[in-house]
Amino acid sequence: MSRVFITGMGVISAIGVNIPENRKALATGQCGITKGTSFPSRYAGELPFAEAPLSTEELKEKLTIRDAGVTRTTLLALHALEEAILDAGLSDEELVSSDTALIGASTVGGMCLMDEMYRDAHKTSGGSEFLASYDCASVNMFLQAHFKMNGIVNTINTACSSSSNAILYGARLIKNGFAKRAIVGGADSLSKFTINGFNALHILSPEVCTPFDRDRQGLNLGEGAAFLVLEGEEAVATGPAGSGATGDKNFYAELTGYCNTNDAYHPSSLAGDGPYLAMEGALSSAGLQPGQIDFINAHGTGTENNDAVESEVMQRLFGVPPAFSSAKSNIGHTLGAAGAVEAVYSILNLVHQEIYAGLNFTHPIPETGLHPVVTYRRMPIHHVMSNSFGFGGNCTSLIFSKA
Amino acid sequence: MFYIHQTACISPQQTFSGTGIDLSREYESADNRMKALEPAYPGIPDNILRRMAKAVRMGVGTALPLIRTAGEKMPEGIIIGTANGGMEESVKFLKQIVGYNEEMLTPGNFVQSIPNAISSQISLLSKNKNYNATHVHRGLAFENAALDAAMQVNEHPGNYYLVGGVDEMASFHYNLEYLKDSYKKEGISNRRLYETDTPGSLAGEGGAMFLVNGLKDQALARLQALVTFHSEEEGAVAGRLRVFLERHLASGGLAPDLFLTGENGDQRITHFYRANEAVIDDNIPVARFKHVCGEYPTAAAFGLWLACQLVGGLPLPGHMVKRAGIASANYKTILFYNTYKGQQHSYMLLTAPSL
Repeated sequence: MSRVFITGMGVISAIGVNIPENRKALATGQCGITKGTSFPSRYAGELPFAEAPLSTEELKEKLTIRDAGVTRTTLLALHALEEAILDAGLSDEELVSSDTALIGASTVGGMCLMDEMYRDAHKTSGGSEFLASYDCASVNMFLQAHFKMNGIVNTINTACSSSSNAILYGARLIKNGFAKRAIVGGADSLSKFTINGFNALHILSPEVCTPFDRDRQGLNLGEGAAFLVLEGEEAVATGPAGSGATGDKNFYAELTGYCNTNDAYHPSSLAGDGPYLAMEGALSSAGLQPGQIDFINAHGTGTENNDAVESEVMQRLFGVPPAFSSAKSNIGHTLGAAGAVEAVYSILNLVHQEIYAGLNFTHPIPETGLHPVVTYRRMPIHHVMSNSFGFGGNCTSLIFSKA
Repeated sequence: MFYIHQTACISPQQTFSGTGIDLSREYESADNRMKALEPAYPGIPDNILRRMAKAVRMGVGTALPLIRTAGEKMPEGIIIGTANGGMEESVKFLKQIVGYNEEMLTPGNFVQSIPNAISSQISLLSKNKNYNATHVHRGLAFENAALDAAMQVNEHPGNYYLVGGVDEMASFHYNLEYLKDSYKKEGISNRRLYETDTPGSLAGEGGAMFLVNGLKDQALARLQALVTFHSEEEGAVAGRLRVFLERHLASGGLAPDLFLTGENGDQRITHFYRANEAVIDDNIPVARFKHVCGEYPTAAAFGLWLACQLVGGLPLPGHMVKRAGIASANYKTILFYNTYKGQQHSYMLLTAPSL
C-alpha cells in the first residue's frame, strides 16, 4: 500500500489566518481566546471564545464569494483550502481530476445560522437563501461545486474527532487505490447550538481554559478550519502537472500511523479504553514503539473528564509520557476542525523541529502529576502523535513522521 | 468490494425480518409522507429507548440483531451513513434554546441529536470498542459508508464490518425540504408517484443495515463495484454509466439482468434516470422503489437492501417494474443507480456471491 505524504497545508484559527501567522503565534505563546462578541448568543461577551479574526463579510470579500447561501463555516473552509491548494502547488488539472478526493469534516455545518434555520423551519412558503446550507455536507457541497471536483467527496462527523477521521479516510482512499491525492480537513464556526449544548453539559469554562491543570474548569469553544493535501507515492513521483519532477513538491511529513476506536462507555464522557486503543493502534500501524514518539499534541480540552482520562492513558501506554501539550489553550476547541488544525500544528513541530508551549498551566493533576510543555523549545523530533476524542466515545490518534 | 452476509431494514413497508418481509402489501403514503413502521425494539432497554431519537432507534434497532447473529465474532467496525442523524432531537434542543433564552437547558436532546449518536449508541450497547465512523455527506452518506466498509474489507478480508444507512423525517426537516420544493405541493398517493409531472417527491425515512466481510462462504450477495460523483449534467452522468459498464461489467463478461433505480417522481430529475435507461440494453428490465420508501438522503441503503433480497430470491414485486424487458427467473446481477436531487449520483453493482 502506498505511503502518504503531506504536501500542502492551510489553516485559519483564532491565532492567525494562515500557516505563518499560526506558527508565529504558537512559537510566541499567543492566546486567541477572548470574550467573543461577533456571534448571536447571550453568552457572546460573557464567556470566553476563540473567534477567527475575520468577520463573515471580510471573509466573503477576501475570497470574492458573492454566491447566495454561503455560511461562515464554508467560508472558513474555503479560506484554509485555498491556502493548502496554493501551498501544494496543485494545478487546475489535478484539482478536477477524478483521482483527487475531497474529504471534509464539520459538526456545526450551516447550524452556525441557527436562528435563520429556526425561522425557515416555521415558514410555509418562501424561505431564506440558506435553505440548502444548514447541514454538515453543505460545506463540501459548496467546495466541490466551486472547484468543479470530480473525485470522491465526503463529509465526516464523529463529533470532536471528525477531521482526524477525514485525514484517516483520505489516507485510506489513497492506500486502497481510490484516489492519488486527497484534500482532507475540517471546518467549524461558533454556533449558538454548540455553545448551548456544551453549556448545558456544564463543560464550558467561565475563564480561559487551563488544559491539564489541577484547577481546570472546562473548555472554551473556538472556530477555524484547516486542510492538508495528502499525496500517495504515485502522485509524488509524477510531481505537479508540467513539472515532470518531484523537486517542486513540499514534503512536510508522512502520515505513518492512525487508528479510530470507540470508548463504548458513555455518550458524553470517556472512561479510557477508547483513547488507549486509539493511541496504541496508531503506534502499531506506524510500526513504532511508544518510546519513539517525541511529542504528543494532546486532545487536552481542559475539561475535568478529558484531561484526567488522557493523562492516565498516556501513563498507561507510555510509562513516562513524552513531551506533550494542548493547543486548545491557544485556539479553544474548534470541534470538527480540531483534528485538522492540530494536525497542521503537529506537522509544524516536525518541519521546524520545535515544540509549542501549552498555556495557563500552573498545578499538575494530583493523581498523575504530569506537566505539559510550558515553554517553546527546539528539539529533534521524528514522530508526533495527535489525539482527538469526541462525544459518542469516538477516539482517533494520528502519527506524523519526519519525511 | 465485499460480501453481504446479513441484512436488516426498517422502512415504511413490512421489511423488518422479525415479522417476515412482505413488499406486496405496499403500505400507502399519508400527507405526502412515508413513515417508517417501527418494531417494538425488544433488544433496547426501555429507559434508553425512551431517550433515543427516531434515527437512533432505527439504526440501533437494525444493527443489534445483526451483531447478535454474528455471534462471538464482534464486528471490527461500525460504519454509518446518515445525512441528518437525530434531527428531531436537534429541533427539540433548538426549541429549548429559543424558548428558554439559552438558560437552564437540559443536554439530553443535544447529545441525542449529534449525527454520530447512531454509531456510538450501537457501540455502547454492544460494547464494541473497534473502528467507528459516521459519514454525513447528504445524498452520498450511505455510499461513502459502504466505500469505507469496502476499504476495511480490502485491508482485513476475514473481519466482519457493520455498515448501514439511516435517516429520519422529522417535521422540522420536512418543512425545510418542503420550502426547497423537495416534496410535492399537491397531495398524491405513493401509488401514483411516477404518473406526476411536477417537482418534488414524497418524504421518506428508514434504516438498512448490512453485515459484510471479504469471504464468499455462506454470503447472501456480493457488492462488486461502487462509484460516486457530483454533477448536474445529464451527459456527464450517462458517460459515467458507460465507463462503469465497461470497467465493472463488460470486462468481466457480466451483463445486468436488472436495472434498479431510485427514480422518485420529481420531474426535474427524471431525465437523469431516462438518460441511464437509454444507455443500457432495451432487454434489461428496469425497476424502481422510491414509491415504497419515499425520498431521503440515505434511500440508497434501502435500494441496496432490496437488491440483496432480490438476489436472495425474493420475487420482484410487480408494482416496482417500470420496463418489463426480458425478465429473469432470479436476479443475479443487479445494476443500481440513484441520484439525490440531480447533484449527487451513485452506481452500484450487486451480484450473487458466486459471480
